[in-house]
Amino acid sequence: MTRDERLPRPPTPAGRVLDARLHLLSRQVLDADDMPLTTVDDLELRSTDDGPDRAPAADGGITGARVYTVTALLSGAALATRVLGGRAPASRWLRIDWGRVSDVGTVVRIAGTGDDLDATWTERWVRDRIIRRIPGGDHDPQ
Amino acid sequence: MILSDLLDLPVQDPTGRRLGFCIDARLVLDAPAGAGPLAGARLHGLVVSPRTRTSFMGYERSGVRRPWPLGALLERRHAGTFLVLWEDVVGVERERILVAGNAVRYDARLRG
Repeated sequence: MTRDERLPRPPTPAGRVLDARLHLLSRQVLDADDMPLTTVDDLELRSTDDGPDRAPAADGGITGARVYTVTALLSGAALATRVLGGRAPASRWLRIDWGRVSDVGTVVRIAGTGDDLDATWTERWVRDRIIRRIPGGDHDPQ
Repeated sequence: MILSDLLDLPVQDPTGRRLGFCIDARLVLDAPAGAGPLAGARLHGLVVSPRTRTSFMGYERSGVRRPWPLGALLERRHAGTFLVLWEDVVGVERERILVAGNAVRYDARLRG
């Protein structure tokens, strides 16, 4: 609702424009079978100069001179840091590579199924270790 | 870095004058796609609001004006919101984002 008409329009980019917080954060992530997998809690951005451990480039740090792209949707360790502040270590985040994202709309869709994603490990663990051991729990209802 | 390293941080010019707070990061799907079905998402700029660290459903970046009381309140709260291009960002520090002194303030509204 910026009615300051004196501001110039920005250069028109070639691709689709997304505002990260508005269009991605807190969106539900579905796989190709419309199964809900998780929600987007944060984004990982990297420049080609970043180190392999996702640490910022040593020389010059994070600046506009480097091109940053989204490399992954992050899920998981958001609640505690939103309430208490601080930042969860990178190892606590569950990553979904951006290369798997097939569409961004009211939900975020990924190509293929989510069976191999870290984000669904708790569901797989409960299925294999608990549900499967309940009599009748290892097959579809008849 | 992660997006949270940018969001809510004060945005300052090189003299230390506060320009506002980073309320969002604008991405453009124009980077090489790699192996994925969607183009890569490049960081294009930062949306800066002079008064607040938050944004209510992107009102300030849309043409929505209704309901009137809410629209009037949010228009006042987010007046002066602008987009600064990523290439004009001089540095991202732990407590602030520095932008170049000659950085252009662009209209932050989303088109279409």
